[in-house]
Amino acid sequence: MDLFAVASSTAVLGKGLMIGLGFIGPAIGIGLIGGNYLKAVGRNPEAAKFFGQALVFVAIVELFGLLAFASTFIVK
Amino acid sequence: MRLLQLFADSGPSIHVAPAGAFHLWGFTITNSILYGWMAAAAIIALLIMVARKVTVHPQGGFTQFIEAGAEFISGLVEGAFDDRKRGRKYVPFFVTLFFFILLNNWFGLIPGVGEAFHRGDNPILRPFTADLNGTFAIGIVTMITVYVASVRELGGLRKYFKHFFIGSIWNPLYLIIGLLEMLTDLTRVFSLSLRLFLNVTIGEIVIAVFSYLGHIAAPLTALPFTLIELFIGALQAYIFTVLSLMYLAIAVNHSHDHGEEDADEHFLTPEPTPAIKPARAKAA
Repeated sequence: MDLFAVASSTAVLGKGLMIGLGFIGPAIGIGLIGGNYLKAVGRNPEAAKFFGQALVFVAIVELFGLLAFASTFIVK
Repeated sequence: MRLLQLFADSGPSIHVAPAGAFHLWGFTITNSILYGWMAAAAIIALLIMVARKVTVHPQGGFTQFIEAGAEFISGLVEGAFDDRKRGRKYVPFFVTLFFFILLNNWFGLIPGVGEAFHRGDNPILRPFTADLNGTFAIGIVTMITVYVASVRELGGLRKYFKHFFIGSIWNPLYLIIGLLEMLTDLTRVFSLSLRLFLNVTIGEIVIAVFSYLGHIAAPLTALPFTLIELFIGALQAYIFTVLSLMYLAIAVNHSHDHGEEDADEHFLTPEPTPAIKPARAKAA
């Protein structure tokens, strides 16, 4: 019973929602970047030299997921 | 029920903020700055040693690796500017930045650093880049260098502020866009430092969680994530360098795209007719 009370507290629910919703966006974003990069390489193999730039954009997108994950440590 | 209680155990010890290791002359020395000093001394010693060993004839091993990295970054820096001579001046700064972040990230992955060795409740050593104070200091130094360098390259504060505006500042649209650009420029120091800090800290947390879940087989379960962190540490060092390089290159190259004297004339004089207007009139 005690365990149930812990698991259903609002902070735990909030953390779970925060992680889950916070990871959806960056996951979609990174998928779009990777997919479009591969599409571009498929069309024009010369475009493979822009892999570094694709990684830079992945890092920009990734920041928001990391922010959501880090925020879960602030919620008590 | 007993099994459930096993899962509801206290969990791994996780710290997002650095903790004080000891006191020195009234200052609290945190575990991250302690390891930062150690890592900085190690990096200086290591790179001086490598710089002495570099020869024209390529050698294998660690020297070759450092040489390849330095050459890669210097090629990147020189390529980012319109004329390569202009970029050559900034090569030492960016190469130093890259290796400082890269080696700090990697030194943080050595077993024993991080959550492994405790004194009381807190780990004794913590990677320098897993501390927001540390990455914020790196970000501030980088952005001040970028600002000073771009002001010097453009030749004066007036020209530097001008590059935010795409036209005359009396046009309200251009004024608002320019002010927003300035605001975006100020947030760059936060985005740079937060990205590095969060990536390294979350890597530490993931490793701690998986070595906790592994229990006896902790080295086995933590190994894949340590390898991923090895890659992410290199990637983040690359991204920090490339982004700060881009901020500098945008400011410097921008003024050379437009004719300088042409833009200078229109900067403070009213220019009520935007370029779109005649085209619209023709279409109507």
